[in-house]
Amino acid sequence: MTSFTPYTYFQCPCTENSTSSRTFGEDLPSPTSDTSEDDRTFDPRAPRAAYSLHPLEHLLYCEDCHQIRCHRCVLDEIVTWYCPNCLFEVPSSSVKSEGNRCTRSCFQCPVCTASLSVSSVALAQTGLGADISAQAGPYVLNCTYCQWSSKEIGIQLEKPNGIYAQLSKVKNGGEPYISAKDRRREDRRDISESPKGPGPNETLDADSQFENLKSFYQSQLADSAPSGGMGFMGGYGYGSPGALSRIMGLYTGSSFGDKKRESKNGNMREVCDSSEGLQLTSTKDDQCAITRIQRVGWEGTASTAQQKEQAQSVRFMDDLRPFSHLLRTKRSKRCRACRHILSKPESKVQNTRFRIRLVARNYIPAITIQPLQQAPTSLLTPMKPVQFVLTVKNPLFESVRVNIATPASTPGRFASKVTVLCPQFEIGASTDMFDEALREGGKEKRRTKAEASEGQLQAEAGKIWERGRNWVSVVVEIVPASLRTDGPEFMKSQQIQKDDGPLREDEDVLEIPVFVRVEWETDAAHEESGGLAAGNKEKELKEKRELAYWCVIGVGRIAQD
Amino acid sequence: MSKKPAKGEYIETDTGNKVSRKCQIIGTTNIILGGKTVIQAEVIIRGDLLRSVPSSSSSINPSPNDKQQSAVAVAIGRYCFFSRGCALRPPGRSTKGVFSHYPLKISDHVFVGPGSVIEAAILGSHVHIGAGVVVGKFAIIKDYVKVLDGAIIPANMVIPSFSIVGGRPARIVGEIAEGEVDGFDLRDLWRSIGNN
Ligand SMILES: [Zn+2]
Ligand SMILES: [Zn+2]
Ligand SMILES: [Zn+2]
Ligand SMILES: [Zn+2]
Repeated sequence: MTSFTPYTYFQCPCTENSTSSRTFGEDLPSPTSDTSEDDRTFDPRAPRAAYSLHPLEHLLYCEDCHQIRCHRCVLDEIVTWYCPNCLFEVPSSSVKSEGNRCTRSCFQCPVCTASLSVSSVALAQTGLGADISAQAGPYVLNCTYCQWSSKEIGIQLEKPNGIYAQLSKVKNGGEPYISAKDRRREDRRDISESPKGPGPNETLDADSQFENLKSFYQSQLADSAPSGGMGFMGGYGYGSPGALSRIMGLYTGSSFGDKKRESKNGNMREVCDSSEGLQLTSTKDDQCAITRIQRVGWEGTASTAQQKEQAQSVRFMDDLRPFSHLLRTKRSKRCRACRHILSKPESKVQNTRFRIRLVARNYIPAITIQPLQQAPTSLLTPMKPVQFVLTVKNPLFESVRVNIATPASTPGRFASKVTVLCPQFEIGASTDMFDEALREGGKEKRRTKAEASEGQLQAEAGKIWERGRNWVSVVVEIVPASLRTDGPEFMKSQQIQKDDGPLREDEDVLEIPVFVRVEWETDAAHEESGGLAAGNKEKELKEKRELAYWCVIGVGRIAQD
Repeated sequence: MSKKPAKGEYIETDTGNKVSRKCQIIGTTNIILGGKTVIQAEVIIRGDLLRSVPSSSSSINPSPNDKQQSAVAVAIGRYCFFSRGCALRPPGRSTKGVFSHYPLKISDHVFVGPGSVIEAAILGSHVHIGAGVVVGKFAIIKDYVKVLDGAIIPANMVIPSFSIVGGRPARIVGEIAEGEVDGFDLRDLWRSIGNN
């Protein structure tokens, strides 16, 4: 079993007003049993809880709402688009027109997703980023991880740069790719030249088919929509009577739709040949695929993960194409409630600084837990009391009063007993980094483990275990529950009598829900130093602040006896 | 070799480097240590893999400093931590049929986990590399990147800032949150290492 690292997760308040949750196997909670929100103990095992618990580092803090903010209660705003491979910034206008992939020369291996590098065919063996500028073409794309090469799909390039443009003009196997527009132009010429044309059942590639379908239905919608009417021509054209009656037809049965269609828009019809995007499937295609599988075997087929990365549906390795890197973004974050910015990175791709960065760890105390005495095993022995040291560290420049509350026994089937020996204490103010650097030499003296085990300094109820400049640690006494579900009936808890199934995943992890209330006084003027309170002369006026939240402390795994 | 080192495990230099007596540093004259860096036991640093092709002949425009620069095989910044058994090797490749190594540059606050092999071109600052990681030749890792245990970073890969990468081959699996940025600081870790 892997070692267990104790953890603390904080609950974001944005989930507080949700309906009460239920644990596995529990009946629907009856509305009468639902007591006041405040009285309810937070259950970290509730299925819903997983969505509201976050490590402190993942949380932001809104100074205007005085509240914790998680990724679910902030709004993301894209500051910059960039390619993660070439690190070039992409203007949002070209993201709109060109799509969300890099259009320079950044391609990923269709087999293993590693970045592809360009190399000359002549020196393909030496591979590895050989100096391409000095060598002559043709060039291929090589994967440095799985050794895949674009030669395998019959693609060679003339130039070592502008890969995106070159690749879009060539099909697998080396045939030139003709875009839908060119194809249409050619088609028209063909029709005018010969009466037969390319035939109504010509096979199209996916791009051309989509292009044909799109242009066909756009023209249909434009024809059927009256010039006045509902006046909604653009977009998807849901406002057109044609589309409306078709939708109505879906709900009311075909007779309604048919009648309307005949009377009102006889001009609305469906695609009927390949120039309009119609592609007939035949059993011949299936037969082709089957014979191909028989020929190439299992190795010749693409895995689901490989298929997923492709723009078009592809089944065989020979049909895979290199794909360009998805763009990444730098985003700023706003509070959903008050719209103030909580985090704003510098817009330049390579600049890692933030203009604004209101992270929760600068506002709410960090909580850590560790065993008081080093145990021989990492597992907790059932029914044997153990002591843990809970350390609370204050990041604020004011001293704070902290109140810690835990339920007497943890929720769930296996109720461990928890006692915080000193649930109320005051923590000194944090000083800034400069002070901290000065203090570096004189280390604060800490109680050593030896002293603790000597029993000279026994943990006492109501007393702080240890105190530093801006941190306090208190002792928590825990009696881990037994994980047994068998045994005599009278020994069992009510929970186990109801459900004595086998141990579920991570049910042996001892998690303590902790309700933390932090109170402090702050300079009202200092808080709004920049603006409104400039004229406020009552500088001595202190403002009371309070912050309360649930968190969950993962202590360790209980041994199975 | 004596059976038991009489002194502590680490040699502490004037610039605050803590270097294990049991590490293997080859070609020390070609290695720059910025200071306050920890090098644990069994770490291998290949300063001997020096650039053999003069940089003036390459596409990079020559400058008077070239002679000095080319004498550096591994450059390491401040507050770096190299865990037990990791290896730092300058990357090498052939250009026009001539093989040469190129410098490996490591910025500040870079943690390299036990048993990892680094053949990157550049490791930015505040980079955390887990245990058993392979960073392929000429890879570039930008600032504030976390590489998960066991990841294999293919040669030439570029990893942008604030990425979490993992897997074989490595791909970007997550983003570094705003609050995690401070966690990359290695000053406390450097302080915690010593001979007592
Ligand atoms: Zn939230
Ligand atoms: Zn790119
Ligand atoms: Zn590959
Ligand atoms: Zn707010």
